[in-house]
Amino acid sequence: MMKETAYWISLAHIPKWGYKKINSLIVKFFHDFQIPIDEFFHLDETDWKNKFHLEDKDINDLKKAKSEVASNSFLAESLLNQGYEILPIISSDYSKTLKENLKTSNSPPILYLKGNKNILGENSVAIVGSRNASKKALDFADNIAKLASNKFKVVVSGFAKGVDKQALDSAIKYKGQSIIVLPQGILTFDSGFKKYYKQIIDGDILVLSTFFPKAPWKAELAMARNPIIYGLAKEIFVAESSDKGGTWSGVIDGLRKGRKIYVLKPEIDDNNANNLLIQKGAIPVDFEGNELYKEYDIVENHLLVSAEEQVETYDLEKKIHEILTVKPMTATEILAKLDIDWKIKKMNNYLKKLNFIQFEKSGRRNIYKLRESIERFQHKLFDNS
Amino acid sequence: MTRFEAEEILKKTFKLSKFYDDQWTTIKYILEGRKVLLIQRTGFGKSLCFQFPATIFKGMTVIFSPLIALMRDQVKKLNDLGIKARCINSEQTLEENSKIINEAKLGKVKILYIAPERQENIEWIEAVREMNLSMIVVDEAHCISLWGHDFRPAFKRIVDLVNLLPKGFPVLATTATATKRVENDIAKQIGYDTITIRGNLIRDNLKLYVIQVSSEDEKLIWLGKNLNKLPGSGIIYTGTRVNTLIYSNWLEYLKISSTSYNAALDPESRVAIENGFMVNQWKCIVSTNALGMGIDKPDIRFIIHTQIPQSPIHYYQEIGRAGRDGETSYIILFYNKEDRKLPEAFIESSRPEMSIYDKVINVVKNELLSERELMKQTNLKQTQVRVIKADLIEQGIIRELNFGGSKKYEFITNAKKIDTKKFVDLRNHKLKELEDMIAYVETDKSRMKFLCEYLGDTIKSNISNCDNTSENKIKISVTPEWIEKLQNFREEYLPILEVETKGSNLINGIAASYYGTSSVGSAIHRSKYENGGDFPDFLLKLFIKAFRKKFGNETFHYILYVPPTKSGDLVKNFAIKVSKILKIPISHKLVKTRHTIEQKVFENSLLKTENVKNAFVYLEPNEIKGKTILIIDDIFDSGATMKEIGRYLTTLGVLKIVPMAIAKTVGGDIV
Repeated sequence: MMKETAYWISLAHIPKWGYKKINSLIVKFFHDFQIPIDEFFHLDETDWKNKFHLEDKDINDLKKAKSEVASNSFLAESLLNQGYEILPIISSDYSKTLKENLKTSNSPPILYLKGNKNILGENSVAIVGSRNASKKALDFADNIAKLASNKFKVVVSGFAKGVDKQALDSAIKYKGQSIIVLPQGILTFDSGFKKYYKQIIDGDILVLSTFFPKAPWKAELAMARNPIIYGLAKEIFVAESSDKGGTWSGVIDGLRKGRKIYVLKPEIDDNNANNLLIQKGAIPVDFEGNELYKEYDIVENHLLVSAEEQVETYDLEKKIHEILTVKPMTATEILAKLDIDWKIKKMNNYLKKLNFIQFEKSGRRNIYKLRESIERFQHKLFDNS
Repeated sequence: MTRFEAEEILKKTFKLSKFYDDQWTTIKYILEGRKVLLIQRTGFGKSLCFQFPATIFKGMTVIFSPLIALMRDQVKKLNDLGIKARCINSEQTLEENSKIINEAKLGKVKILYIAPERQENIEWIEAVREMNLSMIVVDEAHCISLWGHDFRPAFKRIVDLVNLLPKGFPVLATTATATKRVENDIAKQIGYDTITIRGNLIRDNLKLYVIQVSSEDEKLIWLGKNLNKLPGSGIIYTGTRVNTLIYSNWLEYLKISSTSYNAALDPESRVAIENGFMVNQWKCIVSTNALGMGIDKPDIRFIIHTQIPQSPIHYYQEIGRAGRDGETSYIILFYNKEDRKLPEAFIESSRPEMSIYDKVINVVKNELLSERELMKQTNLKQTQVRVIKADLIEQGIIRELNFGGSKKYEFITNAKKIDTKKFVDLRNHKLKELEDMIAYVETDKSRMKFLCEYLGDTIKSNISNCDNTSENKIKISVTPEWIEKLQNFREEYLPILEVETKGSNLINGIAASYYGTSSVGSAIHRSKYENGGDFPDFLLKLFIKAFRKKFGNETFHYILYVPPTKSGDLVKNFAIKVSKILKIPISHKLVKTRHTIEQKVFENSLLKTENVKNAFVYLEPNEIKGKTILIIDDIFDSGATMKEIGRYLTTLGVLKIVPMAIAKTVGGDIV
């Protein structure tokens, strides 16, 4: 795997290729054709075209990436020598939680790591919240980190000021383990590596980045990092959110993806948007992280779903997503695959509401397929790398 | 491309008519995108094997070379041929280097020479991503192997890099000196698919002699008598830095033109000497083995070793620099039975004790540290810290990080314990090689054959180019006249105490002798550490002689001495005697304000400087204001004490401070 690092770097950072496009190609050569990445890169262009159904533009992109493998070897050597690890999505060490949560469409094709990578396999809790958090929110983050550490769960946080930092510091305080998900390239984190040297050496902290190693901090990167934090965690706790900004959009995105997200239930006079998130489907919890949803009135009717129902819907969405990864289909075909007792019209309506799906008219039929909008957002990450 | 087509291009581009067979074979493999290890003697034309394909490839070729002199040389030659070659190295300014990096990014450079250490530079790594590369060359590839004569840790990273390169990317590793063991080791490291091409290593234009002597004096006298009889110019290799000074001073004393060279010189001086050497400015350069590697001087006519090298590989490598033009060159090795002690001590002391390794590991476990911080926290010498660092890196226990431009050392989680067997193996291997080197001295058969076979060459024919075959043996005759000359020389050339710094009125002084030589060191040691009483009178005589020679014409107002830490009044009593003889008043008013620890306890100068900082006071500052002062100590080592006293006395308004010591240590003599 190490030997192929430069190939992975070249593939993962092809400009204007989103995670989904890259991952589907990886699935093709690695799972379907069962060939390693270096062999794939050294195939003839005709093979790329005929076997992998790549278009000319894609082939050109790949050729360019191939020509960069030699120079990326220099980068790869430098990274490996300094103790960074580069985990491609096909690696058995790659976070299974992340893959489960983000699927092929949103999982980063490679992870840059430093520290104890075994942490990726542990049970995990994300603690998020605003940069200018109240004392109460910080205390909550501290408490959740304490509870998590006591149960040997890893605390995932984003190394921002406020709640993120509190979650990390508390995990250290309670001798727990942490994952720091960087909003920047891993080579630009020297101060952090110095500060957390001892914890990293002792195997208690893993630093993770999904961006090009030298990419400096940017607001877009911080935004793009949020889904990774959520993706790496089995449980997500929101200490405090305002009605806009990173935490807000992160939670909304998480809810949209069907994640179960716990939000600290605010007091009447708390000035935050936690209630709004709860109305949107997040689950209220008390200071100890215990669910409060059953006693809570949720205003907006169409969002009134119990936790179980939500899981069911989530499972349904997940299945539909899987089915459509293979090829575009009609509602009838999807129903047949799902084997559920719905009217075709109901399915059609349901499908149209799913934001990861788009449809095209083909004669009188609607053909549903996976939307590529999320990728467009990813482009930005690489343009400046 | 056929050989014919290639040779057509060769004529046009390199003005050469044809390739040797081994050259063409190598080039063919390279053009096919293979990995090749090429072992050929100096002067064979290894460079052409990568320079030619480099001009054929579309992109740029990167050459890793540890030798800056060689880089400069080859770049100049290539540019003269109209091939765009550049080098990036630490002796050029940052601006020069970035300009070249930019040219390379724009595709304006065909061949780029860099040092392996460049791989540690993150700006370079970033820039490479924008370069179009076609081939990687590892020059002096024996530096990859721990079993070679010049293992360099930076090459480990080049090996890793080569293994990360894409399939079908051409890599050429070249060396002139590799035993079978080293050859296999290199090939294994850079990949099992490596093709090895090994040429014949015979150098029959070199005339090999060994002169067995019974003292250092005999070597000096033979050189004094015979050096000017040798043709052209050449190199004298001494085993130590201090000997480069002693030998070149001796030649200077005899009016034989020479200069000394060692790695401690600043880059400008080194370049100036290298350039002067190219145009035969001196009859010879007296140097440690730092000089010559990679200097492409075709007409080095003689190479003389005053000290046996560590192994026949070292020796072959060093003498290989002579006679690259194919003309007769003289290769002389002096050997005194005592001489084996130096390389032996070097091998035995090349690794500190294991407890010291543990000490380093323990501090690195707790904190991310630089080399300086490591030295401070462990109280170890820089050389020791470096050896330990290199071993720990090699064994995967620590790693070197580039941290915002400075190097720091990080413990590797779950690292294994140190494998001491490896050290034992290596030490035994080196002792064996030293025995082999002595076997070279003692052999009565063809010396060139001995060397070539040692390097894994199979030679059927006899080679007669040495004092065991075709040439006469060299004998030494020592006459009283020459013994006297040498005596006079020794009194004339005194070790200099280099202490001058800006803002201090302390000037460079002298010592009466080097600590290590003759009976001086042992006499001091007896008095100081074995209750041997006052320093003996012969030391006083030497000291007075040295003083009269160097400072006899100056007026001194006071003699001061460095107040003791432990050894009582030895220096005080000595200074009183000096004061009586020279009739300069002595002052006892320089005293310590606090207890200091003996300087020899501290292994590095950082701690020595801290130990004596603000430790001295002069009781009546007014009496020495505007005066000239002689300050005496017994042993001069790092100079930290003298510098501190000089700094302090300057603040009191002393006009001039002249330091003198009985003996000066060289490179950490054991005090």
